[in-house]
Amino acid sequence: MILSARGLQVRYGAITAVRGVDIDVAEGEIVALLGANGAGKSTIARAIAGLLPFQGEIAYKGEKLRPNDAERNVRRGIVLVPEGRGILGRMTVEENLAMGIYTRADKSQGIADLKRMQERFPILGQRRHNAASLLSGGEQQLLATARALLSKPRLLLLDEPSLGLAPQATAYLFGVIAETRAEGLSVLLVEQKARQTLKVADRAYLLETGRVVASGAAQKLIEDPVVSDAFLGGRG
Amino acid sequence: MLWQQLVNGLTLGAIYTLLALSFSIVMGILGILNLAIAELFMIGGYFGFTLIAANFPLPVAVLGGMAGAAIAAMLIEKIGYQPLRGAPVVTPMLSTLGFSIILQNVATNFWGSDPLQLPDEYLGRQYTVGPVNIGQMQLIVVGATIVLVTLVAYTVQRTTIGRALRAVAENREVSRLLGVSADRLTLFAFALSGALAGVAGVLIALHYGAITPYLGVEIGLKAVAVMVIGGTTNIWGALLAGPLIGVVEVLTVAYGGSQVRDFVVYGFMILILLLRPQGLLGGARSDQGQRV
Repeated sequence: MILSARGLQVRYGAITAVRGVDIDVAEGEIVALLGANGAGKSTIARAIAGLLPFQGEIAYKGEKLRPNDAERNVRRGIVLVPEGRGILGRMTVEENLAMGIYTRADKSQGIADLKRMQERFPILGQRRHNAASLLSGGEQQLLATARALLSKPRLLLLDEPSLGLAPQATAYLFGVIAETRAEGLSVLLVEQKARQTLKVADRAYLLETGRVVASGAAQKLIEDPVVSDAFLGGRG
Repeated sequence: MLWQQLVNGLTLGAIYTLLALSFSIVMGILGILNLAIAELFMIGGYFGFTLIAANFPLPVAVLGGMAGAAIAAMLIEKIGYQPLRGAPVVTPMLSTLGFSIILQNVATNFWGSDPLQLPDEYLGRQYTVGPVNIGQMQLIVVGATIVLVTLVAYTVQRTTIGRALRAVAENREVSRLLGVSADRLTLFAFALSGALAGVAGVLIALHYGAITPYLGVEIGLKAVAVMVIGGTTNIWGALLAGPLIGVVEVLTVAYGGSQVRDFVVYGFMILILLLRPQGLLGGARSDQGQRV
């Protein structure tokens, strides 16, 4: 397993947002965290990324992670694209991408990768001198994902990447996420669009009020009538 | 007469620019006014002055002033800012006010409260260009300012550390998710800001040929006015406002008398706050937050 969380608990003051959650992500696997608003999905992703204090245990490649250690986690290979995209709007598109190679020791290879990324996503190449804030929502999400990929993650955490995107942009983005599997990356995908997410995911955890209420292979969850009624809005 | 005043104003404006830049760097990263910068400026001046008095060459004195003020700034960050980072904005600001008073007290006890004078021979030669007399020290002040501002601009805009600095200024959490150590960058911002204040202190000491422990209060407050006029959310505002205020101040003294000098400078600052609170180069909106 590239990631294992055991008895994960996260509190915001007096409120417990995540209550003893166990999660595993294997090498090269896309795992989805699904649930309604307030289920604790984003909190789990933020705790794994090192933005929040937590109780319990999170292990990455067998090594225990310390709470609130985001900078070091990036260097370990854990990269979160946060909800709301987290682009640096006052910087240009190219500067945002350059921040993706900030932690890399192989800077010249990083610059070559940056150029390749602009070829892979031509819109980013065309807009490289524009302020990132001027991009559309879909382009900003693409930029945030490309920037994360440039830091050479082994575990990519994507928090609600489809939030606020048009269906076409969402479909394109999910295609990009599916491509990452071929690159050997592990992905933990936090989403509300359950049906679409389960189509790209290998496995999923369904969360309610900070607890895992169901988990399993994505295909099985789609076919499970109880899960389908509760999380997927019925059979569709 | 007018040309001479313009040259004198630009020299003073160069010092204001450096010091306002020093305030802006911390303001841009943390959104707080580091009130100790005015005294870091004075301390830098004393370090430089002491080295000059000990017959060290000028570049060594300038570097000594920069280093002394930068180290003092890093101590202020470690002791007076970092432990208070989660507190309301006014708390670390009050802490820097405390450091400001301590630094002035240290200088008074160490160097005395009377002004120290540079030997006359150190003030250098004068050059005459048409109707204008330009002192060697004026050329050094303006030249050093141009070099330093260019270096800061290059660092902030073109280097990896500058990009990281801007990332922390724009969004501390996102910068952490990119692997940037926001704490280390904050310390760097304090050091850079201290170094600029320190070199400005050495340059003003050279320009006036004298230094007192109270130098920081007057010039430092003027630099805050320059930062506000240029735009607190844009460090490049200081490049415009520094020379502008320097020239306005010198012309006011020359043609209106020194008794109205502060009235004009601070009146201009209040006018800017009322009519264009984001400053001359602060962008179209005043609520854009921090920027470097």
